[in-house]
Amino acid sequence: MGGSLRWTEFRLLLPVLLLVPLGFVLAHIGQVGLAETGPLAIPLAYLGLVLAAHLLLRGLGQRGDPFLLPIVAAMGGIGLIILGRLPQDLAGLDALGLGMAPTQLLWFGLGLVVMVGVAVGLRDDGFLRHYKYSWGLFGAVLLVATLIIGSEVNGARLWIFVGPIGFQPSELIKIVLAIFLAGYLAETRAVLSQATVKIGPLKVPPLPYLLPMLVIFGFVMAVVVVSRDLGTALLFFGVFLTMLFVATGRRSYVLFGFLLFFGGSVLAYFLFAHVRVRVDAWLNPWADPADGGYQIIQALYAFARGGVFGEGLGQGIPLINGHTPVPAMHNDFIFAAVGEDLGFIGASAVLALAALLVFRGLRVAIGAGDDFRALLAVGLTASLGLQILIITAGNLKLIPLTGVTFPFLSYGGSSLLASFAIVGVLLAISHRSSSTP
Amino acid sequence: MTNDILRILLLALQFGFLALLVGLLWNFSRTLRSDLGAASAAEATTREGIGRLIVVESPAGEPPEGRTLAIGPITSLGRNVNATVYVEDDFVSAQQALLTFRGHAWYLEDQGSTNGTWVNGHRIERPVALSFGDEISLGKVRLRLER
Repeated sequence: MGGSLRWTEFRLLLPVLLLVPLGFVLAHIGQVGLAETGPLAIPLAYLGLVLAAHLLLRGLGQRGDPFLLPIVAAMGGIGLIILGRLPQDLAGLDALGLGMAPTQLLWFGLGLVVMVGVAVGLRDDGFLRHYKYSWGLFGAVLLVATLIIGSEVNGARLWIFVGPIGFQPSELIKIVLAIFLAGYLAETRAVLSQATVKIGPLKVPPLPYLLPMLVIFGFVMAVVVVSRDLGTALLFFGVFLTMLFVATGRRSYVLFGFLLFFGGSVLAYFLFAHVRVRVDAWLNPWADPADGGYQIIQALYAFARGGVFGEGLGQGIPLINGHTPVPAMHNDFIFAAVGEDLGFIGASAVLALAALLVFRGLRVAIGAGDDFRALLAVGLTASLGLQILIITAGNLKLIPLTGVTFPFLSYGGSSLLASFAIVGVLLAISHRSSSTP
Repeated sequence: MTNDILRILLLALQFGFLALLVGLLWNFSRTLRSDLGAASAAEATTREGIGRLIVVESPAGEPPEGRTLAIGPITSLGRNVNATVYVEDDFVSAQQALLTFRGHAWYLEDQGSTNGTWVNGHRIERPVALSFGDEISLGKVRLRLER
């Protein structure tokens, strides 16, 4: 069993390990127009890190899902290629003075360490399921802390700086929220799925069971909305609804949730100026092409220039006075960068990788032996999948743009570490279910 | 002239890159299909009942530790030899507890035992809903409910 799993993972990993260095070389040739390989330090370091993670996982007897590492290695590799061909000072130079791609590689390596650590170290998940209220409280405290001591970047208060190092607590809260909901729902699932109290035409589960969850959840939503981080609010809400539906199998919750969300959105439109700006820019970016609608118009141009096959790695994304047309091309709009360089085919391939990741996550949940682990896997998988859905749809002008990162592709340490931690948990859960007698 | 050759070569390589990307997905989906086939075959053999009990701890050896017990929708637990799950332990009553599957979930009810029935370390006073992964204790015997 262990042997065949290791080979499956290696066989899936092999084309990824060919693809990424080739991408780096192509991006270099595309940019300078000379037949040379360019600096190979980053692709070689990437190869070493991914192979080391693979050998470490299997060497330590981890028998988790063999698809997860190859999928995230491919997504992370494509992200690195794109970040490597963008102007290296796009994100502003960090404390170490490295460019964007080397910094991302550093975080990528740390992320792999976190993933392997969680996958191997999470042998006993008792401390997760038994202290669910403590986890809920921890998440809430982190949220309030962000609100009070956080720094504002681009109109949203979502960074905490400890000395020179800043991190986005929302990435951590995402995971904590899934742990809390999984613990709570695993315990009350049976009661919640059988309606007992009637309020008007609605069948509602007994309030004492629903209330603690609604209180904590309402609190989280309130704080996120106050901190003006709407993409994250949408993400949390989606994860909550998904887990509630999976736990109870009742469509009425989902329907009710959508109504609530719709009402909340309309309210937010009239209450918050920055929401109005986003929605107006989405409805008609041409009303204000130089300011409000600028990013979204440039992103659409990028997709259009890319066409079916793309401009070629390193050949798209024209610089205007040394700047990319979209300022946030390295995080919020990295999908547009993929669309321009690799075209419809490349962008579809990235989305297919994301779909595979979600599929495997749900597969892990189905195979999990008990409710808590199954719900945790569903919640974490949903958080990755919904985040990808929200940001790609925002890039393509299908929904108003809200700033969340594209997991594994976007530039940023918090996002990478959190995403890799999630994959680590999925590996740990699938390991446990493959080893039960 | 050399410039043109370079351009054509680069174009070919770029299409090669996209082809490799699509091929990688093809590789994934092929492995995925064989994995799904194996999974559904395994499912058919292991997932017949509505649940099972794993014996986590049993000092007296009846039921033996590590044994998987198949359980029906109405399962009695106790020291009575007619109980569905016969437990040999001096601290267990003859008719200790009743495990029933109703609608979507398993419920556990104490049958007025002397020393009580416990779920995840809490003594139960009335019928409680169980989730898979919960641990039932009676006397010194511990059982885990699994799918």
